[in-house]
Amino acid sequence: MKRILVAAGLLAFAAAGALAEPATETSAPSSFMLDNGLQVVVVPDHRAPVVTHMVWYKVGAVDEAPGKSGIAHLFEHVMFKETRNIGPEEFTSIVQRSGGQLNAFTSWDYTAYFERVHKDQLGKMMELEAERMVNLIINDDPEGPFISERDVVKEERRQRLDNNPAALLQEMVLTEFWKGHPYEITVIGLMDEVNALTPQDGLDFYREYYSPENAILVVAGDVTEEGVRALAEQHYGPLQPTGEAHDQRKWQPVAPLAETKLITHSDPKVRQPVWSRYYLGTSFNRDPERALALEVGLEVLGGGLTSRLYQTLVEEQKVAINVATFAWTTLHDEGPAVIYGTPVDGVSLEDLDAAVMAEIEKILAEGFTEDEVRRARNKLAATAIYQTDSQSAMANHYGANLALGFTLEEIASYPDEVRAVTPDEALAAVRAVFGADQNYITSHLLPAEGDL
Amino acid sequence: MLKLRLISGAAAAVFLAACATPAPPPEAAPEASLDAEAETPAALALDVSVYDGDFVDIQEFTTPGGVSVWLVSEPSIPIVSVQMAWRGGSVADPEGLEGLGQAVVYGMNEGAGDLDSLGFQTAMEDLNMSFGCSNGSEWTSCSATMLSDNAAASMALVASALTAPRYDPGPFERFVREQEVSLKTRETSAGYLAWRAQSQALYPDHPFAREVSAQSLAALTPELARAHKDALMTKDRLLVTAVGAISPEDLAPLIDAAIADLPETSDVPAATPVTLPEIAAAEPVVVPLPQPQSLVRFIGPAMDRSNPDFFPAFVLNYTFGGGGFESRLVKTLRVDKGLTYGISSSIDPDPNFNVWSGGGQTKNESAGEFITGIRDEMQKFIEGGVTEAELSDAKAYLIGSYPLGFDSNAKIAGNIMSVRQDELGIDYFDRRNALIDAVTLEDVNAAAAKYLAPDRFSFFVVGEPEGLSAE
Repeated sequence: MKRILVAAGLLAFAAAGALAEPATETSAPSSFMLDNGLQVVVVPDHRAPVVTHMVWYKVGAVDEAPGKSGIAHLFEHVMFKETRNIGPEEFTSIVQRSGGQLNAFTSWDYTAYFERVHKDQLGKMMELEAERMVNLIINDDPEGPFISERDVVKEERRQRLDNNPAALLQEMVLTEFWKGHPYEITVIGLMDEVNALTPQDGLDFYREYYSPENAILVVAGDVTEEGVRALAEQHYGPLQPTGEAHDQRKWQPVAPLAETKLITHSDPKVRQPVWSRYYLGTSFNRDPERALALEVGLEVLGGGLTSRLYQTLVEEQKVAINVATFAWTTLHDEGPAVIYGTPVDGVSLEDLDAAVMAEIEKILAEGFTEDEVRRARNKLAATAIYQTDSQSAMANHYGANLALGFTLEEIASYPDEVRAVTPDEALAAVRAVFGADQNYITSHLLPAEGDL
Repeated sequence: MLKLRLISGAAAAVFLAACATPAPPPEAAPEASLDAEAETPAALALDVSVYDGDFVDIQEFTTPGGVSVWLVSEPSIPIVSVQMAWRGGSVADPEGLEGLGQAVVYGMNEGAGDLDSLGFQTAMEDLNMSFGCSNGSEWTSCSATMLSDNAAASMALVASALTAPRYDPGPFERFVREQEVSLKTRETSAGYLAWRAQSQALYPDHPFAREVSAQSLAALTPELARAHKDALMTKDRLLVTAVGAISPEDLAPLIDAAIADLPETSDVPAATPVTLPEIAAAEPVVVPLPQPQSLVRFIGPAMDRSNPDFFPAFVLNYTFGGGGFESRLVKTLRVDKGLTYGISSSIDPDPNFNVWSGGGQTKNESAGEFITGIRDEMQKFIEGGVTEAELSDAKAYLIGSYPLGFDSNAKIAGNIMSVRQDELGIDYFDRRNALIDAVTLEDVNAAAAKYLAPDRFSFFVVGEPEGLSAE
């Protein structure tokens, strides 16, 4: 998830011919607060009679108690089960019967629930989300719905991680990378800990974090601020804060890596070795200027087919099938900056490591050209324009950034900020991250012994 | 609903050169003018018929160069996307040259005219546009997305690719290297292994079962790719759709310039229908793969759109496995039993591949229970059909959610191209909901009895399922 932001007030297109509809001035996103502390954000998009309705809670896997990994995500599943006024499994039935699509997702930093419906159904969606914000019921039958949902989540973990050697290796690396930080366990949780979660854990989590003052409502689509305000006052306005919920987040700065390490994972399913290095990067929350410069710098260094590393290692030297760099800059706390590559047959991971690092050293000594930095900036800025085509992407984008604590103004200023990054700034950011004095984790994904 | 009008507009420049001077980047200069370098402006007159639909208004016209175009104008965001599709995909790969169509499309954005691979990719970045082509089993498609400010320069780059793709040795060898990696990695991909087991068991001699091999890859050359590109991308089989901030008058010359040098026609073998057995093997086919879960896939014969059973079956599939949280497969196997994170089913409307298929993943220990559970659900549909409430819920979702497929340029572009490819008619979007609404309980239950018998479905399992043995 790139933090790409959108300029308010899109270009109106002066169309030739009587056919074109008059260009409607797209109104900028706006925000207001209900008396109970619920923040409401409206992102107008009048192209189709459709809305995306999202509720973002300021809680995620980062906030889990020790030994309770996976509760934020399992609880998100349980939110679909039953409430005081909605029968078991009826939540999804009502939404889909209304012609709606729905789902939810959990990250380290936030949890979001969404419905996409015809605009006529917006009030009903608010009624449903308001109901489960305060009236959730968790069935405590030891063989009941909480337990079968826990089994579902275990299957989800197998499907996302345990089936996939590359995902398992990444889990090991990130655990080492964030050692001692709440991000050190992956969002879905450790199998043994998930398996021990109880209905009471779910209830405790609900009481501690779910309340209107700890949520952000995002409505994107064919709506006006006034229309959303009236519906939100009607459906969310009456909700009383529980008085128990809090927003004391467990975020903390990520400590530099104490040592340089190699983590290897071999599996009979691996047919193609992969090499990576993980360095301590930064984040937009912790250091926005540096994060922006790093994004631009990594785009030049290893952002795609035209990047320096790709051109040298894949096209000229032909030692790699692919090579790229990217950074996790959109978590609240610092994430890794990653260099990875796939060697051609006959080139070992050690050889690839040496070739890539020699090239990086050379590039960082020589510097970037004005031209390639301009292209990288433009690419990142243009992504913001292309993103306006997707209503759900826009809703996600605003919701995630607001849940992380950014303001609408900060979100809107991104394209201008990215265009202001200088070659010197981009270079300095990359040099600082990959400096010879920095520790890093190397990861090797390898076939099982004897399979080569 | 159909209005005709005649437009006489100003001339638009036709860019024939292969983007020798890339348009200046947005931050450095104003937009590229559409009228730049126009030599002798000729008034462009287009007959545009407008289909005024409930979900989209489609402008239909034929360019001066003879190309039929469907355009949906969307002025509110400064983006244009253009889609092209030609009937004929990987089934047109000659015997022994499997992967040739893939080589053709790989090379389409890897250099053209005066620009080598890096030059072409850099020109795309300078224009903030994207362009790429794909080769499915029955269609070859190209897609270009650009900012309306420099649509002319962006389409000029597309024109150079369609007119003079280079197929330089460097990118071609890179394509081969990437394919060699795919040949290795597919051997432990559960999805691929399930597909291969299915195609070998059910239609081993059909072109749909053919695949790239080390031998076919070794036989490919840039010269073969260049020649095959001329066979795949001809004027007579081309469909064009566009969505975005552009008028028919501005778009038409850009399309004409892009396709000017394509061959008029070629001889490409058409796909023939796959016929699945009406009675499937009783035992699942098991493919061993060391992982904690088993991937389970089922597939049986269905019907194409021309069959009166199609819409009843389509509505039935929502309740069976297509309706997400509301399908019986999910309610039983996920919600009640906790056996899987997801299970779904779908009907493929392709007249050459009419199948009803689906599946999901479950831990190896419960693979047998999972398969039994799927078959039990099928049996319940045959014996008891669906309820009035289920039918009404299915219709409410299928009809009520339809506008959600038209809220972005990208979705509209995909939808109008599908309608053109499947020859459903320009009014299809407006007829579709009535077709669903007309389905009766009797229709649905008759379709269930006819198509959902468990013995019609072949099962394929990839993993280390307990209690099921590998063949």
